[in-house]
Amino acid sequence: MKIKRHNLAIRFTHWMPALSIFVLIFTGFGQMPVYKRYFVDQLPGLGWSSNFLITLNIHYAAAMVLIFISAFYLTYLLRSKRFDIIPRRGDFKESVQIFASMVGLTEEPDNDKYLAEQRLAFAVTASSVLALIVTGLVKAYKNLPGVSFSPEAVFWLAQVHNLFTVILLLSIIVHLLAFLIKANRPLVPSIFTGQIDTEYVMHRHRKWWERINARAGLNLEDQAAQKEAEAIAFDEDGMESNAASIG
Amino acid sequence: MGITRRSFITRAAVAGITAASIITGAGKAAASVSARGNFALLHDLDKCDGCPHLDTPACVAACRIKNKPNFPEPQQPIKYYWPQKNFEDWSGKRDVTTRLTPYNWTYVQHLEFEHKGQKVKVHIPRKCMHCDNPPCSTLCPFGVNDKTPEGAVIIDPKGCFGGAKCRDVCPWHIPQRQAGVGLYLKVAPDYAGGGVMYKCDMCHDLITQGEQPACVSACPRGAIQFGNKEGLRQYARQWADENNGYVYGDAENGGTANFYISKVPFEAINEAIQAQDLDGKPGKIGMPVNIENPLDEPGKMMSGFLMAPVAGVLAAAVSTYQIMKGGTDDED
Repeated sequence: MKIKRHNLAIRFTHWMPALSIFVLIFTGFGQMPVYKRYFVDQLPGLGWSSNFLITLNIHYAAAMVLIFISAFYLTYLLRSKRFDIIPRRGDFKESVQIFASMVGLTEEPDNDKYLAEQRLAFAVTASSVLALIVTGLVKAYKNLPGVSFSPEAVFWLAQVHNLFTVILLLSIIVHLLAFLIKANRPLVPSIFTGQIDTEYVMHRHRKWWERINARAGLNLEDQAAQKEAEAIAFDEDGMESNAASIG
Repeated sequence: MGITRRSFITRAAVAGITAASIITGAGKAAASVSARGNFALLHDLDKCDGCPHLDTPACVAACRIKNKPNFPEPQQPIKYYWPQKNFEDWSGKRDVTTRLTPYNWTYVQHLEFEHKGQKVKVHIPRKCMHCDNPPCSTLCPFGVNDKTPEGAVIIDPKGCFGGAKCRDVCPWHIPQRQAGVGLYLKVAPDYAGGGVMYKCDMCHDLITQGEQPACVSACPRGAIQFGNKEGLRQYARQWADENNGYVYGDAENGGTANFYISKVPFEAINEAIQAQDLDGKPGKIGMPVNIENPLDEPGKMMSGFLMAPVAGVLAAAVSTYQIMKGGTDDED
């Protein structure tokens, strides 16, 4: 039995930023003279990587993709009012509790659709992306012919942009390291297919499970009704049906 | 010493800029945001004879004397730019005057070629062009390369890491690197950085005191002029009109503060440079005509930055409408 965790719009707003951020970090790093020195441009297909103007143009193009997705996601959040990923009061404490439960110090709390630590990680990642977009746009404006800022402004703009790059990079590393933890692994397929095991949701995402059932207007005690709820939750339709509306 | 008319104008202009930045109260920041340079150099190739009577042309010699205190004193032994097995060290070749090096910020190209059936000799004093929109400054990863309100493009030797990106993105590849000096030695000298980049700074210290750059004062034939940029540009254009001549440096790279005037077209001069001066190594520079600013291309992409968020909002409006209408793709 499966439950639909991420619709296509959400998977799209996960993978497009993932791709564009990868390109942005690679080309952004390439704004320093490192790829020639370290023979990266000798690797097959990467001859362009030491050309600062090519990497700058790619950086701009990938930035546009990221800005497009960010605007898309922000609008999606506000219109759908699905704030499951937005941090809540007490998330920090709850995250500590989740970590403590991993080493057997305490019980894991009842989780909602996202774990408290996922909500916090989202806040860090999203605000880094926002800061990078803002400072990046100012930097691109500064690069226009006829525009120049004071040396101090140029210096600090670069420092802030670089600082948030490091924060974003760390948050991505932490995000990937989270899947070393066995309990998190059933979450992985859902970002590809959108589906997650019902079994897993019932155990680890108790609050979410209750919400799904409450929405279906059913009593958890009633075994027959529960089966029915699972049947409703089970997604049998094609997922690609509204792909055209997003792209 | 009497004040010549030109030095009076220069001083008056500098005083004006200083006063303006004090009055606005914004000082350096405000001045550098709007001003794209008030001064320029003009090289009259009709007048320059390359100082045949001297071992080193007077402008080159004067530049070397004036900038001697600014030349690098590298720490030995100099390390390789790991994993590369090389480094750029000119400290043992300080007396080279026939190319740009960290110890030689201007040189004269002596060319002899045939033009319209006549043998011509052209001598060209070369140095930083001090571009209006300098890619070296804009793209410096450390933000330590600045276009000053006076028009000079200056590299801060204390902040420079010596990655030589400025040389790569400069259409003329002018800044030159000396290893074994600068900030990189204090960070991770084995793995990052390569020294400090050096080039002509238009004698910024002199011009802010109302004086002329050393090369200008030293020229025995008055072939190098220094002054108000707009005035020199007009002079160059008028001279070209009257003499069927050519101007270099006004259109190139989107405009520079270094003009050359000549009766021989610069296409022919550049051809001669390619054949007679260049040796494929840094420090010998060409003179390509109408060269475009490498930052023009990225600049054209700006409308994309304006359109991206609008497109994102619209796409989300469509998508959320379909999902909330009860589309088959909705989440549980």
